[in-house]
Amino acid sequence: MNEFVIALGWAGLFAPMALGAIGSVIGCAVAGQAAIGAMVDTESGYGRYIGVSVMPSSQVIYGIVIMFSLQREVTPQSAPALFGIGLLAGLALLFSAMRQGQACASAIHASKTKPEIFGLSLAPAAIVEGFAVFAFVFALVLAGGIPE
Amino acid sequence: MAYPDRYAMLLSSLPYHGPLFGAKQTPLSRIRLNQRLALLDPLEAEWLRDARRLLEWAQQEPEHTDAEAIMRAKRLIDGIASPFIRDLVTWRLELRTLVAALRRRHRGEPAPRDPRWGFGRWLIRISGHWNEPDFGLAGAFPWLPEAKRLLDRGASVELERLLLGAVWSHLERVSDGHYLDFEAIVIYVLRWDMIARWTKYDGEEAAQRFDGLVEKALSAVEGLHLPAVGPQPERA
Repeated sequence: MNEFVIALGWAGLFAPMALGAIGSVIGCAVAGQAAIGAMVDTESGYGRYIGVSVMPSSQVIYGIVIMFSLQREVTPQSAPALFGIGLLAGLALLFSAMRQGQACASAIHASKTKPEIFGLSLAPAAIVEGFAVFAFVFALVLAGGIPE
Repeated sequence: MAYPDRYAMLLSSLPYHGPLFGAKQTPLSRIRLNQRLALLDPLEAEWLRDARRLLEWAQQEPEHTDAEAIMRAKRLIDGIASPFIRDLVTWRLELRTLVAALRRRHRGEPAPRDPRWGFGRWLIRISGHWNEPDFGLAGAFPWLPEAKRLLDRGASVELERLLLGAVWSHLERVSDGHYLDFEAIVIYVLRWDMIARWTKYDGEEAAQRFDGLVEKALSAVEGLHLPAVGPQPERA
């Protein structure tokens, strides 16, 4: 039983990093392909499109930081907390990156037609980023209270 | 298509089309559109091609009878696995059936008895309410009374505008919730077809062609040999 609990603890320890990476992969791929499509249709502003398309990469960075903040000896006492915090933080990062990728793709699509709304079109992606930051910060806060 | 990000790429590569009636030309040429649609999965591209074959007037086969055209439509629709495209095409063909019914009645024809005169679920209802101005379908198709009024007045351009507007609004409604997916591409392409059709209309050319047809008809009556269709030099 203890071995199983410890295995869950290790899974929770790596979950923010792994799930954050998966989310960033999906989000950046969607936004990146939208940027490529926009470049096909326009004559300028390429750097701007590519810049927006990498926004979902922040989640994997948050995941790495959470992973290091959770890193400690995995014992039957600490494993459940590591699993709970790590897995849920990872899921939050996963979904936020995926959705942010779609928001970025829409922003690229819209600002290609109306360059003047470029800044405003990024607001949904920025709000999604804000929720990812919530998950990140509170995961760090809770990581400080995990029993050794 | 297994990767939705390819839809994002394709959609972003298509320029915004703007409103239908303000358009002076299509947002991109037919060749470029087809080049970009090559990004679609072959099966999806085939469904879209079949839908356009049914909806584009240029791709219709005028030598076919109504019954043959309906059989062809049913065959093509059955081959489309996407319910979204099937519903869209069916809705458009039902609209054309309603317009056909309006025209038949306008010509003084009685309610059709052959069930293969039109397409869709409204055939029996139309026949049953033949003498009502809107076939009792104004609830489902609010533009019907106006279409009848325009047809009675002989206002062909206004009628065309009304029908295209109804289709455009329908596409707007069904596009809700579709942003980076295959359905959004289908809607874009169907709108492109509508813009292509609307911007191709040329009042001056139509008047010249009409004059030519009148000349041809008159020459046949008078037994004279006049040039057939084409602009007449004495016209201003």
